[in-house]
Amino acid sequence: MQYPDNGGYMVAAYVITAGVVVVYAITLWARLRKVK
Amino acid sequence: MTTRERAHAIARRGTVLSGVMLVALILVYVRALMFTPIERFQGPAQKIFYVHAPAAWSALLAFAITGILSILYLWLRDHRMDLAASASAEVGVAFSVVMLTTGPIWGKPIWGTWWTWDARLTSTLFIFLLFVGYLVMRGAVADPDTRARYSAVLGIMGLVLVPFIHATVFLFRTLHPDPILMKPDKPSLPGDMLVTLLFSFGVFTLLYVGFVTQRYALALLEDLRDEEAANRAVS
Repeated sequence: MQYPDNGGYMVAAYVITAGVVVVYAITLWARLRKVK
Repeated sequence: MTTRERAHAIARRGTVLSGVMLVALILVYVRALMFTPIERFQGPAQKIFYVHAPAAWSALLAFAITGILSILYLWLRDHRMDLAASASAEVGVAFSVVMLTTGPIWGKPIWGTWWTWDARLTSTLFIFLLFVGYLVMRGAVADPDTRARYSAVLGIMGLVLVPFIHATVFLFRTLHPDPILMKPDKPSLPGDMLVTLLFSFGVFTLLYVGFVTQRYALALLEDLRDEEAANRAVS
């Protein structure tokens, strides 16, 4: 079956999601370490 | 157990939950990309939906909980409610960034435009800016009681917006798709896709819980640090 060629958008969205979530997790962890 | 020990215990629990959910997020990616069929008309871009919708859910859940905790703060005047509300607001802003970036990335190939000023998109941007303002305001007001009171008012305004945002697709003519899950009749999604979506919803919800737990512990520890500094200055 022929699908629309828009896989690049999907990859961009998944990369950005992972980036935001991981960066926020690292930031939280670092702030907790600093305040301890 | 002292307040400091309790905050450390909360921080540990939050860190473990967030860590496990970050690993689970990898499994969501694997399931969505490798074991979920490609939608015939939208193509691979439809799979953006498996991160966009759960991120939007977590963001709005976070803002709703901020509002509820704000009401509880004004009612009980319990400082912990203010700290928990601010923790939830910050995590909500983080998930909003995901929602507001993945949405336009889906919109470009499907709608032909990154953004349109319709009711759903505009109200979502508005709640994001409201809570960015909430966080900026908290950083600017030094007195804890004043800060908590102003924050509670903004938090309650955000809570009022949440059901409105959900209803925009029914109340206005909008490009945004109707809800798939949160509607009166059964979900309009094939089985494989529905399992992936529900799995992702579960992971994002627990990731929200993990992040808020960590952020709340951080707020408790910062509060203790400020209190100790004030006591030292007095003595």
